[in-house]
Amino acid sequence: MISKIIIFGIVGLMGIGIYCLMITRNLPKVIVALQVLIKGAMIAIIYAGDISGNMDLAQSMALTIIVADTIVAVIGLALAIQAREKTGSSKIQSISNLKK
Amino acid sequence: MKPSTILAILLILPIFSSAPVYFFGRIGMLRSKGKPGEIAFFLALASVLITFIFFALAVNEFFKTGPIDIYYGSIKLSFDAISLVMSGTLLLLTFVVILFSPVYLSEELNQEKYYAQVLVLMTSILGLTCATDLFNLYAWYELMAISSYSLVSFYCKTLEPLEAGIKYLVQSAAGSSFIILAIAILFGGTGEVAIPDLQNAVSGNSTAIIASVALFVIGYGIKAALVPMHFWLPDAHCQAPASISALLSGIVIETGLIALLRSLSVFKNTSLPIGTLFLIFGALNMLVGNLSALRQKEIKRMLAFSSITHMGYIVLGVGFALTSATSAQMSDGIFIHIFNHAMMKGLAFLCIGALFYYLKIAHGSREPISVEDLNGISQHYPLFAFCLSVAVLALGGLPLFSGFISKWKIMASGAVASGAWNAILIIFLGLNSVLSLGYYAPLVNRMYRIKGAGADVIAEKQTVSKMIIFPLVILTVGIIFFGLFPMVLDRFSEAAKNAFYTMFY
Repeated sequence: MISKIIIFGIVGLMGIGIYCLMITRNLPKVIVALQVLIKGAMIAIIYAGDISGNMDLAQSMALTIIVADTIVAVIGLALAIQAREKTGSSKIQSISNLKK
Repeated sequence: MKPSTILAILLILPIFSSAPVYFFGRIGMLRSKGKPGEIAFFLALASVLITFIFFALAVNEFFKTGPIDIYYGSIKLSFDAISLVMSGTLLLLTFVVILFSPVYLSEELNQEKYYAQVLVLMTSILGLTCATDLFNLYAWYELMAISSYSLVSFYCKTLEPLEAGIKYLVQSAAGSSFIILAIAILFGGTGEVAIPDLQNAVSGNSTAIIASVALFVIGYGIKAALVPMHFWLPDAHCQAPASISALLSGIVIETGLIALLRSLSVFKNTSLPIGTLFLIFGALNMLVGNLSALRQKEIKRMLAFSSITHMGYIVLGVGFALTSATSAQMSDGIFIHIFNHAMMKGLAFLCIGALFYYLKIAHGSREPISVEDLNGISQHYPLFAFCLSVAVLALGGLPLFSGFISKWKIMASGAVASGAWNAILIIFLGLNSVLSLGYYAPLVNRMYRIKGAGADVIAEKQTVSKMIIFPLVILTVGIIFFGLFPMVLDRFSEAAKNAFYTMFY
């Protein structure tokens, strides 16, 4: 029962993350969506450590992921702030000038 | 010195020198009036040169005793032949890029951040190629990605580099989460993350194994710019400073491919058609890259699409090697092409950077260089025109230049295996090579034969700094030398080929 809840949580978090990445048109919210997505994957790592009985390794991996994705979020928000200073809005439409 | 000490210093030195480069560079920038980046430049150059000495020692040890291993706790790092080829390519490219930077960036503030991050990028690639467990591979990759996000947005005064940086960050970080999920599936099933242990533990083709292959291909495929997942690449490569584009194109996307191969080597005891997958990606990359490059007016964007094409050649070589063992025994073309592509694409981007500096930045403009700007450039900047011609003709695969040899070897590796598809794909590769000349050759024509508006704009000619010439000459001589004497590289590519063979067979 517990395992079903956890798998539901992982799939749910990653699904929410991908859905938000696709529909969000606001830069800070895009970064939040990325965080949700990566947190889902991180829970998967911890759950994998639990079922394979190698919790120490899973913990150290989870800590590394937290550090890495925090830095990604910091750089992403820094870029978003710079873009907002240039255009005055945090909409994605205002920074899509590069041709496809 | 013990081999393991050499490897430890090789991996640790650049990342530990990046902090002093930033710190003293910052002090130097605040104190100096004229040249803000000078101290950071000399420190970074010294760091690369010392790293190169330790790399040479490690290569020497490698040919004496075989792969060098070190252990940090339970984490094992192993310097094998593939690491050797990738690190050598990386160090050569970083050396020329750092030599090129002081003139090219002389109008910019914050140069110390640039040099410090280039060193971080360098360490992460050195470490990544030595990683032997899946999570370690991911961690090094993330470090590399983090330093490249901010290098792509280095010109943060304008909006377009920020847009490119954000696109790159979002797509790459989403890819990372897929990689983590794939690692979690394998880790949960076996309790291992080390690649050799997983190779023994993973067999059969259950849904979980297929899912983790798919997640690895999507995750690292975004980073290696395999075709349906390449949308960040043209933007990031054309908006980054030219020197960073050279690094990104020359080594960063290839490192993505190496990470993908190392991850997929876990599944060598399963019967999944990974080789066929690579053949499809290779064909798609060649076609989409070429067709998109043909339409481009902006040269950096054209070169970025041409990187997708060249990834296609490399991926096709990998596909040949993974579908048949006889091809795999001739797969040294893959590694020679990685090395040659780094030199050719590095030279092309650095030439465009030099022209951008003298035609645009020196006149206070930031407009990207378009195809028309090259008209008649050989009269004013003959050396740049010559180097750029060598680079694009080598990229197009003309004989006597190094690009021809490696493409030839990739084709030959496909030809030894029987099968109609191999023959079709080899012909397809040849046709794509011809197609790519359709956008390279007009560039040479414009530089040497057309006398147009471009030449009038640059009426007041600038004196060209020797610092900017030196790296271009190194790469030009390298391309011609390795085109005429490709057997110099045989020793390294043979070793890399054997390592690649044992990874999958």
